[in-house]
Amino acid sequence: MASFIDALTYSALLGLMGFGLTLIRRTTGVWNVAHGEVVTIGAYVALTATSFLSHSPYFFLPLAFIVCAAVSGIIFLAGIEPIRAKGASSMLLLVVTIAISLITIAAINIYADYLQNVFHLASKNFLFARFDFTLWGQMGILWSAWAALGALTVSYYLMLQHTRLGLALRALAEQPALAIVMGANVKALSFLSWCLAGGAAGLAGCLFPMRFQCHPGVGTSMIATMFAVSIFGGIEKMYGPLFAGLVLGFAQIYGIDLISSWIGPGVIPFKDLIPMIVLLLTLQFLPEGLSGFVGRRRG
Amino acid sequence: MGGQWLLFSVDLLALFGIYLALNLSLRLQLGYTGIANFGLVLAFTGGAYVGGWLPIRLGMWLVEVDPSLAEDMIWNNVIIASQVDLSLQGAPFTAMTILLLTLLAAGAAGALLGLLSGYPAVRLGGDYLAISLLAFGEVLAIIGNNYDPVVGGPLGVRIPDVWAWAGDWRFMAASLANCVLALGVWVYLNSVERSPLGRVLRAIRDNSDAAASLGKNVARIRLNVIVAGGIICGLAGAMYTLYTTGVAPSALSRFDWTFLPWVMVIFGGSGSNVGVLIGTFVFILVQKLIITYKFALSFLPFDPVWLQFLLMGLVLILVLNFRPSGLVTEKASYALGRREMAKAAGKEGL
Repeated sequence: MASFIDALTYSALLGLMGFGLTLIRRTTGVWNVAHGEVVTIGAYVALTATSFLSHSPYFFLPLAFIVCAAVSGIIFLAGIEPIRAKGASSMLLLVVTIAISLITIAAINIYADYLQNVFHLASKNFLFARFDFTLWGQMGILWSAWAALGALTVSYYLMLQHTRLGLALRALAEQPALAIVMGANVKALSFLSWCLAGGAAGLAGCLFPMRFQCHPGVGTSMIATMFAVSIFGGIEKMYGPLFAGLVLGFAQIYGIDLISSWIGPGVIPFKDLIPMIVLLLTLQFLPEGLSGFVGRRRG
Repeated sequence: MGGQWLLFSVDLLALFGIYLALNLSLRLQLGYTGIANFGLVLAFTGGAYVGGWLPIRLGMWLVEVDPSLAEDMIWNNVIIASQVDLSLQGAPFTAMTILLLTLLAAGAAGALLGLLSGYPAVRLGGDYLAISLLAFGEVLAIIGNNYDPVVGGPLGVRIPDVWAWAGDWRFMAASLANCVLALGVWVYLNSVERSPLGRVLRAIRDNSDAAASLGKNVARIRLNVIVAGGIICGLAGAMYTLYTTGVAPSALSRFDWTFLPWVMVIFGGSGSNVGVLIGTFVFILVQKLIITYKFALSFLPFDPVWLQFLLMGLVLILVLNFRPSGLVTEKASYALGRREMAKAAGKEGL
């Protein structure tokens, strides 16, 4: 049961991380390698605020959302847009995100060192489980992670379907050239997408230490898993990461527990191979991902 | 002071050789063929693991070591390596045999890993291919960290020193050997440059559809290039392990062995071997200077090593913004040398 709950929690967090990656790719055509670092920044916002203001990290979810949205927006305006404006390919933009990743890794580690050396905080390895509450016999992180992912997915879906802004974002994702001709402000829409994606990553980062150990490289180490969520879910629909997060989260935690009960515990350390295998199989046999596959079957 | 500088220079030379070989492999894949290989670390790690696994076993086989130590090669690796070192000090031929066999195995491992990662990936386009190779790059790190028999798990292993016979010149010999590897790759790339193969690779890079329409098997040629790149990376990985006489999976990170080579190649220019050489030298020098003088920056409230990452990222963004082709741009290459061209032009009466 414990691993089932862990899998559910991990799935929601993966979904939140994959949501941002999918959104950026879908609207601006960029695979953001630096997305993992934005997740880590969310965790450090929570650590800083919790340490200095002595409240539960849940209080600081909006702050993490805002800070990470701002960071992601700045990444877009300062790093991506100037090069994209010169007609760079998606491949070149991916390289730009690697450069941004290097800068943010350095910044996060410098900040973690600073917190440790100046304020004597345990900033290299932290966990907020002691701050968590219990609801209906389960840890609050389970409910809050799913609430955050559900709220984000539903509100984004409603915005896409029922607002003019959503219509413009859909146009940008599906027919970018036509959207430009029709007068859509591509730069503003792309900026908005990056901010929303960063906000989602911030929520994931703020919630992650409630159940899992965090360190300066946590997002970096999970970037391949985030890619797996995004690609397996498919970039066609924004519910893709939600389902892909569920599948991968369960496969990585619950599935590996099941397999280890059959063939022994020696298999447990290799659970991180599962997202890689799923990613590679998806790229080979289902390149449009789950949501693309469902759309094709319906359509 | 003089000794310090000598040590600095020799270590610089050793790392320069390793990185230049690795970066030229990326140049072959990215610069010539347009393959964005974000999984360089895979074949490099494969070669490094071979370098961590094979020499100690070859050493036990070729020189006299207490056979009871073989019962647990990982637990006893330091003792075995020390005993083999003592024997190798007076046996250069045996040491070179271990070196050559290790390099052969590392090249084969690199080729196999290139084939395994390249086969499913080559049919994918642009950034999907890049992500696929990036994911592959993580696989060996996960295995190495969690499966002790490979290279001792996260703690790593110590290996016999195949340069022990060189005595005080050990570091110099190892550094020069690394540079010889890089030189070999350089010569190979230069020969490719003007060959029909080089022109086919550039055609695939510039317009793969056009190349396919002319009967070129694009997927197969890309796969061959990834395999060739894998061999080079595997050799570089093994040479690195043999130089450091040890290997730990944590030292084989994506950042050091994929992203850093990318920064060097983009900075120098992926279209030029000379550009790659300059990019490699500049970044290795900066890295070494930061590491050497980090204690002079101890007043900072953080580890100065992170300045290197900051610098790398900023330089990469600036280069991509203002000079995307890098410091040295690609020059048109001709099928014939200048003299032959002049001769042919004379014959044609041009």
